[in-house]
Amino acid sequence: MTNSPVGREIDRVDGRLKVTGAAQYSADYPAPGTAYAHVVTSTIGRGTITRIDAGAALASPGVLRVYAAPDPRLKLYPVAPQFRGLVENYAPLQDTAVRFHGQVIAMVVAESVEQARDAAALVTATYDAQPPRTSLADEPRVPAGPTVSGSPSNLTILAPGVESIDAALAASDVVVEAEFHQPVQHHVAMEPHATLAVWDGDRVTVHAGAQIPPAYALLLSQRLGVLPQDIRLISKYVGGGFGARVVVWSDALVAAAAARELGRPVKLVLTREQMFTLVGHRPHLTQIVRLGASRDGVLNAVSHESDAEMPVVGGFNVTPAHATSDTLYRTPNLRVGPRQVILDLPGSRAMRAPNEAPGAFALETAMDELAVATGVDPVELRLRNYATVSPATGLPWSSKHLDECYRVGARRFGWSRRHATPRARVDGQWLFGVGMATAVYPATRHPASVRVRLLDDDTAVVSTATADLGTGGWTMVAIAGADALGIPLKRVTPEIGDSALPQGAPAVGSSATHSTVPLIVGAAREAIAALKQLAVTDPRSPWHGANAEDLRYEEGRLRAHGRSMSFGRLLTALGSRGVDATASGPGGAPAGYAYHSFGAHFCEVRVNRFTCETRVTRFTTVADVGRVINARAARSQLVGGVIFGIGYALLEENPLELDTGRLAGSTLADYLVPVNADIPDIDVHLLDRPDPLLIGPLGDDGGEVGTRSLGARGLGEIGNVGSAAAVGNAIFNATGIRVRDVPITLDKLL
Amino acid sequence: MRPYTFTQSRSVSEAVADAGADTAFLAGGTTLVDLMKLDVMTPARVVDINRLPLHGITLDRDGLHIGALERMSDVATHRTVRQHYPMIAQALELSASAQLCNMASIGGNLLQRTRCGYFRDVTTACNKREPGSGCSALTGVNRSHAILGTSDACVATHPSDLAVALVALSAVVHLASARGTRTVPLDEFYALPGTTPHVENVLRPGELITGVSVPRSPWAGHSVYVKVRDRQSYEFALASAAVALELRGSTVAQARIAVGGVGTRPWRLTEVERALTGRPATPDTFESAVGGAADGARPLAHNAFKPALLRRTLVRALTVLQERR
Ligand SMILES: Cc1cc2nc3c(=O)[nH]c(=O)nc-3n(C[C@H](O)[C@H](O)[C@H](O)COP(=O)(O)OP(=O)(O)OC[C@H]3O[C@@H](n4cnc5c(N)ncnc54)[C@H](O)[C@@H]3O)c2cc1C
Ligand code: SF4
Repeated sequence: MTNSPVGREIDRVDGRLKVTGAAQYSADYPAPGTAYAHVVTSTIGRGTITRIDAGAALASPGVLRVYAAPDPRLKLYPVAPQFRGLVENYAPLQDTAVRFHGQVIAMVVAESVEQARDAAALVTATYDAQPPRTSLADEPRVPAGPTVSGSPSNLTILAPGVESIDAALAASDVVVEAEFHQPVQHHVAMEPHATLAVWDGDRVTVHAGAQIPPAYALLLSQRLGVLPQDIRLISKYVGGGFGARVVVWSDALVAAAAARELGRPVKLVLTREQMFTLVGHRPHLTQIVRLGASRDGVLNAVSHESDAEMPVVGGFNVTPAHATSDTLYRTPNLRVGPRQVILDLPGSRAMRAPNEAPGAFALETAMDELAVATGVDPVELRLRNYATVSPATGLPWSSKHLDECYRVGARRFGWSRRHATPRARVDGQWLFGVGMATAVYPATRHPASVRVRLLDDDTAVVSTATADLGTGGWTMVAIAGADALGIPLKRVTPEIGDSALPQGAPAVGSSATHSTVPLIVGAAREAIAALKQLAVTDPRSPWHGANAEDLRYEEGRLRAHGRSMSFGRLLTALGSRGVDATASGPGGAPAGYAYHSFGAHFCEVRVNRFTCETRVTRFTTVADVGRVINARAARSQLVGGVIFGIGYALLEENPLELDTGRLAGSTLADYLVPVNADIPDIDVHLLDRPDPLLIGPLGDDGGEVGTRSLGARGLGEIGNVGSAAAVGNAIFNATGIRVRDVPITLDKLL
Repeated sequence: MRPYTFTQSRSVSEAVADAGADTAFLAGGTTLVDLMKLDVMTPARVVDINRLPLHGITLDRDGLHIGALERMSDVATHRTVRQHYPMIAQALELSASAQLCNMASIGGNLLQRTRCGYFRDVTTACNKREPGSGCSALTGVNRSHAILGTSDACVATHPSDLAVALVALSAVVHLASARGTRTVPLDEFYALPGTTPHVENVLRPGELITGVSVPRSPWAGHSVYVKVRDRQSYEFALASAAVALELRGSTVAQARIAVGGVGTRPWRLTEVERALTGRPATPDTFESAVGGAADGARPLAHNAFKPALLRRTLVRALTVLQERR
């Protein structure tokens, strides 16, 4: 179709609903008879609850229930073995153990939000406290488990005759060794986590923000002890996930269990303060990167080790070399060794580019240090070590245009005007510097199903239980549907965010779009086939008795034998409401290749000569993400990723109190993320090179439906990878000071 | 939040008539309502003062007069203030967010409470919130805390930017209570924590701020407020400097300096003022004059950088003024 929406600047199809307030987020849904819950959290880091005094709360106006640990009325089940590691490993309010500071220890349910909140403030607890284990440096370390992609996280590759990575480093002309630290960071999604649970007999409908609606429903059903088919999860509009809405947290469990026990719908909205301990964080970690190279910067050895927090209640297994040091540069000797340190901290969860953001900060800073040590230009250094096969697996890439990203980015940014010597550019009160870094993110396709329905009013409904976290999922489904059916965007109705729909792709790992789009193509093709079949078999059809192969489908119309009819008119003529078809795909991609998106970041900062605060003044990102489906949404995602990177580099930190296990930050006034004034115009350029190996599960494009071989890879998180290093490298160029502990605040530059 | 009675007053006399220690006046509410929701402030009576006639921004022979209920944004954008007292406008512009400044009043600003995270979390020990309970910040996270005027009982900073500028310019506050009216220099209004950090100022129970006056001076028009913080906007100061200079030729005739983000109250630096007076306005003078700015500082585990930051903030502010001449 000549005017396919694919790759254009398309406004969000849900934009109007959102700016007018008509889009309903989880807490916005009404349900008759709703009671409101407020949770009470622990004020010690580890120990046992000896007593909870709920008397005053129970006597408070409007209070219906106070559930205090342990409260068997809630009937929550332990995590089933197949879900271990995916969720927190205890059942909330079912025992007296305190596992971390800020754990749910009681919940008040009342007639109004205010009554519940005010009564919750009256609940007091006494504890038998034990010192929490909080020190990443001092507690025992164990090797990390497998990576998210299932590969072993510990890996050593040595050139023939080389005994160890240490030997390879010792034999290198130039060695860079650097230790990096990143504190606890938070997803801080704009929408507070909210749950509304409505039971109808043994069946329950839950409204909650979920990145994977079907998985969320499954996890919740197991913990509640109901059949998977008896739970429906609705998550149509979500105010940000970033990894914090992948799994079911304790808030949803206790809210749904209370609604069952009370026999009334229960709504629980967490406060911002509670979100800092109840819905995950990015684990803090230390990384050591060692690079060995020749005098002209050609790598001989790459070693990347790390110690990451693993909360005792379970959390994300950080393997920061995954897709960074094990992927980016050609090296004959490679060692990656992530470790975990078990600590008494709140549950952690994947947070935007969970391995790659920290990993690339370390690796790409170390590469900058190597550039300084060897005197090689940082872009040239990366080109000298350009990998054409994955160093970890030896596989070639499905498609890789990273070299072009470097060149185009350098040109757009004006990299050639850079001064290699630090502190060379001063303008008034400000020192200026520039830096660059590489971005990379794995492209993984998940299993999914999509249903396409062609209706008698000439519209089509495209349904799949994926989620739009604010990322543009609604629009993506509409665009791919319009393209596959060759009809205008406004005639496509997307349906997502509901576990009752065909199993959708998870909105995680930057994979929703390229997992979903091929199946939209497939389902559209099947729906058209079903339409043709109907056209030749129904006696009321003008093509009754014809051969289905003779019918051509084009831009919403069937044509054959000199006649043409829109599918809507045909269906109307046949008295049919519509035809539909569902396509399912197993995910994955052709074996024998490595699949990654790539990019290059270029950053300019200014650092105050007197007081040393850093402000980002320019940023250019060029990315190779395969086919772009929606240019506007794609740019937004990249810009958002870069902003995350700027926050990672300069601001984000929740200080941990080692003696109490308490995370000190609990508001957006003390947990700092960038504000508009911190962000310059961000220049994003997407190469838009379709990936020739990601053309969908059905092989070739079949010739009839839209653009078919879309060749999209992921782009949600890649902006977040390497951008922090580009900022830090620019700060070095401005000041001559290398800071390896984020955030790079002014006190580290004074 | 705890139950409380709510009344609206129409006159100063009505508002103060039976106001006492259990009364909180409600102006913009951006501090009060926030802290009531957190159970940090638990007044039994809330008296809405927004209908009181405490308005007006005027300049006369004595100086600038601002009603206690003027909103921060209205003062910040006022032409007279911008022209004759630029540091006041700048201190306000660099405060909070546009939305907050549209609500928040000048009187409320001067009485805002510390941003110490332990003060705001009722599950932790805090002498300011609960006298005698201890100070969690001493051993806790204290990067943003004070280095000047601290005591073993409390190390919290006074957070107001406006108050720093007003202290530098020798402003006074006008107060009213059932016992009558009085005027107090702002520099004497705030209390040091000592052993009683819950006593933050000389305001008597039920006493109302009716307005602020700032004297005319040859230096107020040549003034600057420099605020240093991690992010560009919407954050309290790690260090700030309100500096006003009267220059004769290239010599400093008079200097007025106060600093924020470092003290338990807005901190006037008369020593630095003296060290600048009569000296040429040059980088060397600035460097040597600020040498003792942080004398007596008691840094904590996470804010050891503040003495140096304070000195550099001052040099930066002085440099801005000298270059602007
Ligand atoms: C997120 C955030 C960021 C902020 N950032 C900054 C910043 O960067 N810099 C800064 O300076 N401030 C900042 N503030 C604080 C803000 O300026 C104050 O909250 C505001 O000025 C208080 O004014 P108000 O009118 O809302 O006071 P209210 O909340 O109404 O009152 C505050 C206190 O003063 C009392 N009170 C009010 N008016 C009078 C009166 N006339 N007489 C006697 N008592 C009175 C009240 O009883 C209460 O105890 C920030 C606030 C927030 C929430
Ligand atoms: S510094 Fe002051 S306000 Fe903060 S905890 Fe200590 S006593 Fe309370």
